[in-house]
Amino acid sequence: VVVIGVSIAIFILLHAIYPSPARDVLGLRASLAQINAWNKQNGYDDPVIVQYVRYVNHLVHGNLGYSYPENQTVLALLQERVARSAYLSGISLLFAVMIAIPLGVYQAVRRNTIGDNVVTSVAFVTYSMPVFFLGLILIQVLALQFPIFGFEASQSTSLPTVVGDWHDMTLPIVTLTLITVASFSRYMRSSAMDVLAQDYIKVARAKGLPERLVLLRHLLRNACLPMITLIGLSIPLLLSGNLITEALFNYQGLGLLFFNSLGKADYQVMLAYTLMGAVFVVIGNFVADIALTVADPRIRLA
Amino acid sequence: MMSSGRRRVAALAIAVAGVTAIAACSSSASSSGGSTASAITVPGGLGTVPTAATGTEHAGTITWAEPPGAVPNFIFPVLTSASNSVYNSQSFEWEMWRPLYWTQNGVTPEVVPSMSLADLPVYSNGDKTVTITMKSAYKWSDGQPVTSKDLLFDLDLIKAGLKESPSNWPAYVPGHFPDDLVSASTPDSSTLVLNLSGPVNPGWFTDDILSYAGPTNPLPAHAWAKASVNGPILDFTNPANAKKIYDFLIAQNKSVSTYATNPLWQVVDGPYKLTAFNATTGAFTMKPNTTYGGPHAAKMSNFQGVPFTSDSAEFNAVKSGSIDAGYIPQNDVPQIAEIKRLGYNVFGEPPSGMYFVNYNFKDATGHFNAIANQLYFRQAMAHLEDQQGYIKAFFNGAGDPSYGPIPAYPVSPYLPANAATNPYPFSVSDAVSLLKAHGWTVTPGGTDTCTSAGSGASQCGAGVPAGTKLSFNLIYSTAPAIIGQQVTDLASKAKQAGINITLSGSNFNYMIANYIDPAAPANVNKWAMEDFGGESENPYATTFGLFNTGGSTQIGDYSNPTADSLINASIASGDPAAVKAEASFLTTNQPVIFQPTPDYIWAWKTTISGTPASFENLTQYYATPEFWYLTK
Repeated sequence: VVVIGVSIAIFILLHAIYPSPARDVLGLRASLAQINAWNKQNGYDDPVIVQYVRYVNHLVHGNLGYSYPENQTVLALLQERVARSAYLSGISLLFAVMIAIPLGVYQAVRRNTIGDNVVTSVAFVTYSMPVFFLGLILIQVLALQFPIFGFEASQSTSLPTVVGDWHDMTLPIVTLTLITVASFSRYMRSSAMDVLAQDYIKVARAKGLPERLVLLRHLLRNACLPMITLIGLSIPLLLSGNLITEALFNYQGLGLLFFNSLGKADYQVMLAYTLMGAVFVVIGNFVADIALTVADPRIRLA
Repeated sequence: MMSSGRRRVAALAIAVAGVTAIAACSSSASSSGGSTASAITVPGGLGTVPTAATGTEHAGTITWAEPPGAVPNFIFPVLTSASNSVYNSQSFEWEMWRPLYWTQNGVTPEVVPSMSLADLPVYSNGDKTVTITMKSAYKWSDGQPVTSKDLLFDLDLIKAGLKESPSNWPAYVPGHFPDDLVSASTPDSSTLVLNLSGPVNPGWFTDDILSYAGPTNPLPAHAWAKASVNGPILDFTNPANAKKIYDFLIAQNKSVSTYATNPLWQVVDGPYKLTAFNATTGAFTMKPNTTYGGPHAAKMSNFQGVPFTSDSAEFNAVKSGSIDAGYIPQNDVPQIAEIKRLGYNVFGEPPSGMYFVNYNFKDATGHFNAIANQLYFRQAMAHLEDQQGYIKAFFNGAGDPSYGPIPAYPVSPYLPANAATNPYPFSVSDAVSLLKAHGWTVTPGGTDTCTSAGSGASQCGAGVPAGTKLSFNLIYSTAPAIIGQQVTDLASKAKQAGINITLSGSNFNYMIANYIDPAAPANVNKWAMEDFGGESENPYATTFGLFNTGGSTQIGDYSNPTADSLINASIASGDPAAVKAEASFLTTNQPVIFQPTPDYIWAWKTTISGTPASFENLTQYYATPEFWYLTK
């Protein structure tokens, strides 16, 4: 229902803004005759409802449409890029979670110490820094000044090659990871501090349970509950990729495809991308709900 | 559109052309121990272009930057309106299939005979008959000669495409070519005769129809005139067959991932053959076509197009030295000295084209249509534009002024004298004087009011009633930023003259879909002025379509009988100076506010040499790597 609603809303909005992409596709020099002929040829002279029904009909048959500016089917465009975007976003998300959770716990346990303050300061600086700026700094220092890594991401369209290309993929992954860690670690710190104040933590300590077990068994599991929701909501990023990172590191992904489609009034790509976004949001929430019930028996019982 | 540039000429045209011709003829020469002797200064250019290095030429692979969002995605040389871009044609298809006449000589838009596939056309029968003689030097890569039949094949495919949709050939204007083509014949294998229903201006027909705007280029009929992969070669002069062939080739063209492997696309007459193409990124590799019959370096290198997702990514590649030829984004102009230090030559020149602010001659809001119709008003607005200030402040000094439809730089052979220097130099006081002299009570910082209505010489003009305020809106594209910067300054200067301009930002796509009078008549009263950038220009720079009454690409419905007459002469008279007269009138008449043009700046490694024109070409969106060679 959500996906259908999104498709209707986007379709209507697009047509309200651009009744037809003909002028954008054919260019400023296209004559009225050329525009009218193109509209007729591509069905843009039909009523919006007819266009929508035709679109849905194509959709259920697996036809996402044809991108005139790219001269390829939308399906092909998505297939070419989805794995690359998913890898970049996914690996960054994974690293971010792996770093942010222990970091947040450390800060909560050692709160208001020098270590906590240092990490907090770094997190604030990184969090407030635009991705573009952070990426530029990393490129300038670690690729141009001291050429340790590549200044651009892997240009291969083979996923195994991309995955194996640590030289070129390190900086884009580090950029995304740092930005994500900065926000996730703050959530984790806050959540862990709340849990630390709970009675069951005090009871566990009073029972003489080693601190390591207190943290692992009682603190970590409970403090991670908000993180599960957060990660679930991040799943759409696997689709959208990360536009700015892709643009900065010369990485052809879905985010950039969508951005370019905006500039070219590429209807079919915009529609497909938005629909996929809706699907991923639904899936992300669903996965998060399932994960929460697994992690927290209280929710399962409810 | 502003992003799909085009080209024009230079004051040093003779010198540059001479160097080019000499270099082209001597490109096969080779000796050892040479060096770059000197450099050429091009009028209006940023930096200089080294002359070709003498000495041993080496071959290798030369990488070339593809700007973001501008990768090729169409290989069939009969471009459609939707696929028509310089990135599909000039830097991709034309490496493999050459246009009939090559019309870019460095920064100068003129026919380069040595790079053309035919001798210059001969016009007869009152300029209604065009005779084209193909050169014998050119061959297809499979050994077959390039014949007049191949040119006829192209024309028949264009006609077949147009029968399906008028958007299938970008140069098409109803009633003009090929509608006016009465007959086409090939009396022998080297001659094509076109009989037209009416006279054409030879300059226009050669430069724009036979060369550039279409373009018209011979295609390998012996290999492509079929309706299926393994089908027989068909008689393409039969319109039914031509349609089948066109549909087949268009279908093949849609298989982007097979561009480098489809045997069809391997039959070429240009200097290169495609060996690799990445449908996802647009990266491509070409290798020299050993049968190419045109001028080229003695040892041609492989040519590799490298795509970029942003200007920053591209400029990082330049700074890291990983790209052999790349552009320098406008924002990075201050880093040119550093780029040179890293081992690059740098040269910039504005691409030929018009950047302008449109008037809407139909906007009745506040009687703006009547106001815009007054020449004195448009002259006053021109006086309020500080072109030199814009170039200095917004272009980082990298740009040139433009006073008419033909920009001052690059210098065109068609540039009229009155467009070489500013006919309406920046002066708020001159603008104020013009308004005062025509019945307006000027209130600097406020809003001027018409206090002397009427059509007399010292009155506001026909249709402008007393009490009319000089206040209107201007919609501009928020990207690139220089558009907003310029119109903001214009509005500020206008305010000093009591002209109240209300600015509002929009985006390019929305503007061209909604603020073009003929295409969006419901919106004619919603905009008085607009600035979305500009338009590229054909080598023969007539404004046919744009400024003639009812023109197919009109924006604000400018209409002037003198302009109509001059534009018509540019395309239909035998007068070689017609387009210059047209540009001269429009420079005076100011149908739009002409704006300065930023340089398109390129950097290439000092280890690459070649004819100066081949590097100047880069600034005009042309890639001619066949002239390049490595010096070590």
